[in-house]
Amino acid sequence: MSQLEELKAAIRGHLDSLDCVIGWEQGYDPLHATPLFIRNESDLERLSISPLAVHNPATYATGFAGKKIGMVVRGCHSRSIIELLNEKLIERENVVLFGLCCDGVVSQRKIRTALPADPGFVEAVEIGDDALHITLAGEKTTIKLQDVLADKCRICAYPDPLLADVLIGNKHDSRPEETLACQEAFEAKPNAEKFTFWQDTMSRCIRCYACRNVCPMCVCQDYCIAASRDPLWMSQENSPAENFMFQMIHVSHLTGRCTECGECERACPVDIPLMLLRRYMNKQVQEVFGHQAGTSLDKTPPLLTFQVEEARIKERDW
Amino acid sequence: MRIGVFICHCGSNIAGTVDCESVAELASGFPEVVYSTDSMYTCSEPGQEGIITAIHEQKLDGVVVASCTPRMHEPTFRRAVERAGLNRYMFEMANIREHVSWIGKDKEHNTNKAADLVLMAVEKLRRNRPLVPKSFETIKRVLVIGGGVAGIQAALDCADGGLDVVMVERDQSIGGKMAKLDKTFPTIDCSSCVLGPKMVDIAQHEKITLHTCAEIEAVSGYVGNFSVTIRRRATYVDWTKCTGCGVCTEKCPSKRSPDVFNEFMGTTTAINIPFPQAIPKKAAINPATCTMIQKGKCGVCAKVCPVGCIDYEQQDELINVDVGAIVVATGYDLFDWHKYPQYGEGRYPDVITSLQYERLLSASGPTGGHIKRPSDGKEPKNVVFIQCVGSRDRSVDRPYCSGFCCMYTAKQAILTKDHIPDSQSYVFYMDIRAPGKGYDEFTRRAMEEYGAQYVRGRVAMIYPHGEQLMVRGADTLAGTQVEVPADLVVLATGVEAAQGAVKLGETLRVVPDQYGFFVESHPKLKPVETNTAGVYLAGACQGPKDIPTSVGQGSAAAAKALGLLSKERLESDPAVSKVNLSRCVGCQKCIGTCPFGAIKAITDRQGKLKAEVIETVCQGCGICTVTCPQGAIQLEHFTDNQILAEVNALCPPKMNASFE
Repeated sequence: MSQLEELKAAIRGHLDSLDCVIGWEQGYDPLHATPLFIRNESDLERLSISPLAVHNPATYATGFAGKKIGMVVRGCHSRSIIELLNEKLIERENVVLFGLCCDGVVSQRKIRTALPADPGFVEAVEIGDDALHITLAGEKTTIKLQDVLADKCRICAYPDPLLADVLIGNKHDSRPEETLACQEAFEAKPNAEKFTFWQDTMSRCIRCYACRNVCPMCVCQDYCIAASRDPLWMSQENSPAENFMFQMIHVSHLTGRCTECGECERACPVDIPLMLLRRYMNKQVQEVFGHQAGTSLDKTPPLLTFQVEEARIKERDW
Repeated sequence: MRIGVFICHCGSNIAGTVDCESVAELASGFPEVVYSTDSMYTCSEPGQEGIITAIHEQKLDGVVVASCTPRMHEPTFRRAVERAGLNRYMFEMANIREHVSWIGKDKEHNTNKAADLVLMAVEKLRRNRPLVPKSFETIKRVLVIGGGVAGIQAALDCADGGLDVVMVERDQSIGGKMAKLDKTFPTIDCSSCVLGPKMVDIAQHEKITLHTCAEIEAVSGYVGNFSVTIRRRATYVDWTKCTGCGVCTEKCPSKRSPDVFNEFMGTTTAINIPFPQAIPKKAAINPATCTMIQKGKCGVCAKVCPVGCIDYEQQDELINVDVGAIVVATGYDLFDWHKYPQYGEGRYPDVITSLQYERLLSASGPTGGHIKRPSDGKEPKNVVFIQCVGSRDRSVDRPYCSGFCCMYTAKQAILTKDHIPDSQSYVFYMDIRAPGKGYDEFTRRAMEEYGAQYVRGRVAMIYPHGEQLMVRGADTLAGTQVEVPADLVVLATGVEAAQGAVKLGETLRVVPDQYGFFVESHPKLKPVETNTAGVYLAGACQGPKDIPTSVGQGSAAAAKALGLLSKERLESDPAVSKVNLSRCVGCQKCIGTCPFGAIKAITDRQGKLKAEVIETVCQGCGICTVTCPQGAIQLEHFTDNQILAEVNALCPPKMNASFE
């Protein structure tokens, strides 16, 4: 039985007791997937778990408050779920997790670069073991999966779900924590250069809030501080300063909570490398508090607790 | 709004380096400022009257005073605007003294900075709103932590003033360090004779509840309504039955317990009453040395006890009490002199601490009041005293003076002569510090009438010399090296913060300084208050102190507690957090971060989770407000908008970037 069939069987077994199971299906063309909300047998038939299925189902979890739902989760998605559980934003008994041992997902941005400019309608996509065979206007283009793997997957230390009720696929050997070369290169740049970079980059931002809306950890619903006049932290002015301010607020609200699922960067329509900020903050949290979000149950993010004395911050011993 | 601005000269304190008139002139152009002036001393009576008159004449509804730190005079000015009929929160203070005039010399820059600070205050004031405090009842009971002489005095004064008192002492008996002393300077009266009656008063006072062998486990709540958990260690003796007859201590076969009361000069029995005048006079078992508890064999004390009060199964007990005020009187401990290589690091038994020497002098001590040196029990003829052991020495991180060592060393030299008339005392000292009533005369008497030889200089080393010890040091007045043969060396060991003071400080939210002594609210004007309302300091926990000062401070702390609790109701500071229920998404992040447990989860009418602040518990620290991602929880009087207004006053936002 293929992994997909195995998963379908597992979901079928739970479907009666769940309001909805979140997975993926083919989107507007064979190259793009879209989230699938499975409520009955016929929905289930459309389920797809190819490397094109990238969306983090945890984003929808808080919206189903009070309902019992299932979610198909990859390793990084399970971290988001764990973080939501730790923050008591969802309840364990209300979620059933169908875990996928994941070999990585694609980056549409990289596929776009690999394909000819303005490729037109994608007729078919055949997914091989290590390559994508894309048919464009009757012509087949082959792209190696390795070349279009998302950045987060290249350094993924948790390919297997850390929390799952059903586990599909073969577990991976444990992987070391790695840093991306591009991250290191950026952090090594002088501040003036970084400043210019962000000024340029943030002037692209159109404040569509896709990064916020797709973030599984953004749970303020309609009360985002960015859209508030009281307190008035920022205006709607579309300037690099205000745009950057918004991103700073977002990243600080994610301190010790970001599970590096990469959805913000993926959703950004103007290609702002938001993960540069996220990864940097996560590194700081790791250094100062020894905390990595969503890697173990019952761990509260360090900034959401109060301790008179932090184990790693020596206030008196300088 | 109609805002009035008052710039204070503070004599020449501010006006010396700030052009106050220019600041007042600049301020008159700030938004909504209708009146601006400068005055010599705004805090003085005419200064305050000036504010009040201006409020009436100019119909002001908000006032900014630019002067000193708000810690100094904010309450003064708040009262002044209140007298004029304004709400006291319609007042803002700009600190142009500590933050400007005292730290910069450049008059032009100072003037500009002062004007900036005034603008910030104006911008904040424009967003202030009247706040009204809530009042709450107080609990007429005081917790006294520590049963030394300072704590005893505080407890007796509070109890005599009509308050219930709960006293908690870590040791088995109250009395503290003073109970270990033989005589006290400068009158050479018997320490236990003057302290004893006070200890008995503690035991007998109907308003005082005493818990010894007990420590503070947790403290929650706020001024007037503290909730305290006390952990009483198992003593393995039922103190409701124990009569203190002492039969058990006579028969106990395990005599290996360190004798804490006698400063480890010998050992004592596993079941023990520390000293004859102990309060409470009850026996307790040291579980570490009791053979019954360790090995399950023995049980002698249980057999001989006439009232059957021995209980080997006793457990620690947690006691909860609610109190309105807390007096901290945890005292001090002695510096560990073993850090000094020159004094032998403990290799020579005849090098002892001053407190050990007190026990040798004391009639209730291990030698029955006869001075016998520890090594061979012989009477010493040459006694060398070394002062400043762990005081005024940066090399051991004790740069401060312990204050009373000069005096007790003189006293011990006098007593040595009294006990052994043919003895000779030598005192190595750095300076003689005797600034109390009758103190200098006393040290002179030690030198002139009792023939103590004072040598000004430090000791370089102590080494064995036959049966004696040779003390080598400098005589800086003679400019020579001296060697003094000594039968006994007494180290005037310095004072350091009591063990566990830092941890207790955290429990009580009282800040210790870098040496572990608790920090008072103001070094001159609020010496017994702390920055936590309702918690007061008495005695050496705040810094080295002799007996009269400790007693005085004990009474002072009691006066503060009595004053506080004499009010039927207290007002809570309205500058606390408040939840905007329509913005709250019920994520409960604020609840987890509140250090005071002041936020609880509630469900609104639609069954949605929301946060709610318990106003009297909230201390206004603001941690919740920086935690709340959507800004739903705001600290009144310090809202995000108020602080942002201050920031924007200082760095006006640039609006040009997007219109290029």
